[in-house]
Amino acid sequence: MVLEKDIFKEFEDIVGIGNIDDGEVITNVYAYNWCMEIFNYMEGKEPIPFSPIPKAVVLPSSTVEVQQIVKLCNKYRIVFKAQSTGLGPWNQPSTDNSIIIDLRRMNKIVKIDEKNLYAVIEPYVSGSQLQVEIMKYGLNCHMPGAGPQVSPLASATSMNGPGFTSPSTGHSARNVLAVEWVLPDGEIMKLGAYGLKNNPDFFHGDGPGPSLRGIMRGWAGTKSGLGVFTKVAVKLFPYPCSTEYSVKGYSPNYDFEIPEFMKLYVMDCGNFKKLETVMLRVEEQEISFMCSYLSGFAVMAIFSNSIESLMDKIAIGQMKAPLVVIIAARTQREFYYKQKVMDFLLKKFKIKNIIGKIYTPNPTFYAEALRSNLGLHGFIATGGFQSTKGVADTANVCLRSTKSNIPLKKGFIKQGVIVNDFGEGTWMTSYESGHYFHMESPTMFDQTTEQSVSGMAEYMEKSNQLDLLKHLGAPFFVEGTRMHELFGPHMSNYHIWLRKIKEIFDPNNISDSGFYITPQNK
Amino acid sequence: MSETRIYQELVKIVGSKNISNDPKVLEEYSEDLSFFPKKKPKYVIWPRNRNQIQKTIKLANSLNFSIIPVSSSSGPRHHGDTIPRNNNSIVLNLSKLKKIINIDRKNRVVMIEPGVSFGELIPHLYKKGLKILTPLHPRSSKSVLTAALEREPIIIPRYMWDSSDPLLCTEVFFGNGELFKTGTAAGPGSIKQQKKSGQAQVNPMGPTQFSPFRLIQGAQGSIGIVTWATLKLELVPSIQKVFHLQSENIEELLDFQYELLKYRLCDELLIVNNLNLACLIKEDSSEILQLANSLAMWNLIFVISGRDQLANDKIDYLEGDIHDIMKEKKLKLSNNKSKINKDDILKFLNQADANPWRLRLNGGCQDIFFISNYEKITEFIALVENQIANNLGIYIQPINQGTSYHCEFDIYYNPNNQEEALYVKEKFMKTSIDLMNSGAFFNRPYGLWAKEVYERHEDSTYRALKKVKRIFDPNNVLNPGVLCFDD
Repeated sequence: MVLEKDIFKEFEDIVGIGNIDDGEVITNVYAYNWCMEIFNYMEGKEPIPFSPIPKAVVLPSSTVEVQQIVKLCNKYRIVFKAQSTGLGPWNQPSTDNSIIIDLRRMNKIVKIDEKNLYAVIEPYVSGSQLQVEIMKYGLNCHMPGAGPQVSPLASATSMNGPGFTSPSTGHSARNVLAVEWVLPDGEIMKLGAYGLKNNPDFFHGDGPGPSLRGIMRGWAGTKSGLGVFTKVAVKLFPYPCSTEYSVKGYSPNYDFEIPEFMKLYVMDCGNFKKLETVMLRVEEQEISFMCSYLSGFAVMAIFSNSIESLMDKIAIGQMKAPLVVIIAARTQREFYYKQKVMDFLLKKFKIKNIIGKIYTPNPTFYAEALRSNLGLHGFIATGGFQSTKGVADTANVCLRSTKSNIPLKKGFIKQGVIVNDFGEGTWMTSYESGHYFHMESPTMFDQTTEQSVSGMAEYMEKSNQLDLLKHLGAPFFVEGTRMHELFGPHMSNYHIWLRKIKEIFDPNNISDSGFYITPQNK
Repeated sequence: MSETRIYQELVKIVGSKNISNDPKVLEEYSEDLSFFPKKKPKYVIWPRNRNQIQKTIKLANSLNFSIIPVSSSSGPRHHGDTIPRNNNSIVLNLSKLKKIINIDRKNRVVMIEPGVSFGELIPHLYKKGLKILTPLHPRSSKSVLTAALEREPIIIPRYMWDSSDPLLCTEVFFGNGELFKTGTAAGPGSIKQQKKSGQAQVNPMGPTQFSPFRLIQGAQGSIGIVTWATLKLELVPSIQKVFHLQSENIEELLDFQYELLKYRLCDELLIVNNLNLACLIKEDSSEILQLANSLAMWNLIFVISGRDQLANDKIDYLEGDIHDIMKEKKLKLSNNKSKINKDDILKFLNQADANPWRLRLNGGCQDIFFISNYEKITEFIALVENQIANNLGIYIQPINQGTSYHCEFDIYYNPNNQEEALYVKEKFMKTSIDLMNSGAFFNRPYGLWAKEVYERHEDSTYRALKKVKRIFDPNNVLNPGVLCFDD
């Protein structure tokens, strides 16, 4: 399906010649994404990595252009799917009666407000771009686990938002201040202080009265199911150590000068009970920059850049309950204090730090930790991975979820459809100095074989059912009508309320509901 | 529908002992300390459990009356948000729901009902080595849950990771009487089943792709009635070292507190003028004025703290780093110049009090408060000082980890002096409007402010909020008329 010529022209008039394309090559490319094959399989479709092909791709350069595009979509009843850095199937249209709004021309850091500790960004600013600029002020940003190459705006407004530095930088959803948002009917909404008629500014995102951030997103975002976000103010944090950043060499073998006050601890707690105790105690002390439980296999992966280098770390992969902690400090006093706390805890819990004794990582690891660039290691073994689970509450439920998942995963490993991580593959992180935790189970599979894709999809389904049955929290990917109708009746019938929001704010169902929820009558 | 029928049905729900139409009782709920016009409710009811709340809401939907929820058992109400707007209103007083349902040391969270007050909760938690994040020196009888629902600013900005803190999960009845749980409390599974699987309702986000707790918060009871909530706790420090720095120049103190907050060097952190500090310390008018006169105009209060075996090590590191910042900035502020006993400061930072500090000087107070960014604080202070020369308390509270500031101007007066009250009433609205016109963000628009605030905000906000109200309270039974819900 392509746009009618007259309609194409109307879109072109908005964005200008060269900023819209409905050619076969471009629209087919936009139909591809990582992991699309799994979601296709789960929806009962052919497990190919392609979504429906959009009619066209449009590239607006401003909020007003986005607004005009959305209004035009309403006029002609064409669904829109917005994307920025575009990682993953959530960027894909659910129907071929759609256009992609690619926001890559909206790529400015609008403002770095040093005194009020936030930055305002457009959709196509990447985490790494933002970080480089704010480091000049001794500041840091939260980056999602997906890595520094993705859009912090997308993470803050529309996606999920856990990150490796979450103990010290929180969760994307909770770091949002004011927002500029084009609603599905084309109205521009400005949340919080940005909505003031006199002196609008981005320092606060709630009110007047109830906070509309409540419909904007939850633990997960609406993934373009409720409009398009064009600006967001995100909170900034103190950079954890010196901002001197000295890196040499060529990819992937960089050499990095480890900052003066930064130290890595990898400790085997032996079992989950002790791991929980140690993790909670470390976090209560408010000393960690990063504090994650990673399965033995995952610890091997974060230190590796290839299958070969993964395999030579079997020794560290045998740890039963590894805890990975990074402390970092701005001053020597702070560093000594944090080290003293870690020494105290290690002695108290009779655990040892293997770093510098059994294993010394390449200094690049520290650079990747500062850049929140550890997620990419999930791709090493097969080139493809996806996470199941995603509960976020206490450390205890995260570890129970991890434990209960092992036999299930082992069954699929035995079938040979997913990679053998001994069933343990898990990443669990603390948030906000241990006030809550989240876990997910990254699983590596082969995207190029149908057997592996279908195996992975079936494993994801079973994992979801396990969460429901054992009351282990809602997984990440409860999105799309099928999943909401599966989980809603077990969760306060929330899907009924979510659907009402969709219906009232998107009366024409124009904002792609594929990864959100459809109205009742669709 | 006849009033008799409503009364009879309410008696069936809550029992005759838990409903009142005694004129004295109704009079009590007809006004507060604000200048909002007086109006009596028809009845006041005190439900004892959530079933009674649900039945009352459903009854309101079918018999077409309005419900105004209140939570605190006693003490003055301030902002006009619980005064009836129409002739067919009842007050639903939740103060009898006062269970501390669960205190969870391991996960640093407490689950409480709306009637639990600061005076009750703080000592309970303290025994377990825990503390709730409080507003500045709350009234003992004040509902803890209401303070969180109203987004009252907390005094430890570094622990305010989100402007919604310390509120986590809630159980709520929406305006149509349906029960809902927000955040991870939504499930899967009941609360009992969730506890069995190790959960503690510590994640407020969700369920899934929306966060309805944010719609309930700041809604002045117009979206839902909360029957319990979980709130974030922190651990009680074993050492607290208080700093009281004085200056005639607020910019000097603002600049310094920015550094403290940027590097997360202290816990409690706030700036007050001399009069407000004196009101927080002393109870008697003459003593307040005497102390105020002995203080510098501006007072920065902050606390550094440590816990456990390494508490002193932490204090040493923090003090050393703070000293370095002061040296670098060539600040000549000294903690030793303070004449105030540090225990008195800790008392108002750590405890609640039966005698509200804002009412101590003259028995009456009109507070004007809003959110500002760093740069505009001094401009707003100048604007207010230009209009109100005397008896003005000022309180500046960094919030949300230093991304914005709660600015509060307390106009102290004698409410029994009619002339003075009239003068304050005029000043209160004029100053508020001037502030709004200068870009002050009144994000909690109570009473007389509401209309003015929404007029100065983008219309899209007003329209979206009305849509939200229509979803969750389709018949407009919950506190109609507040905020922008004026139809």
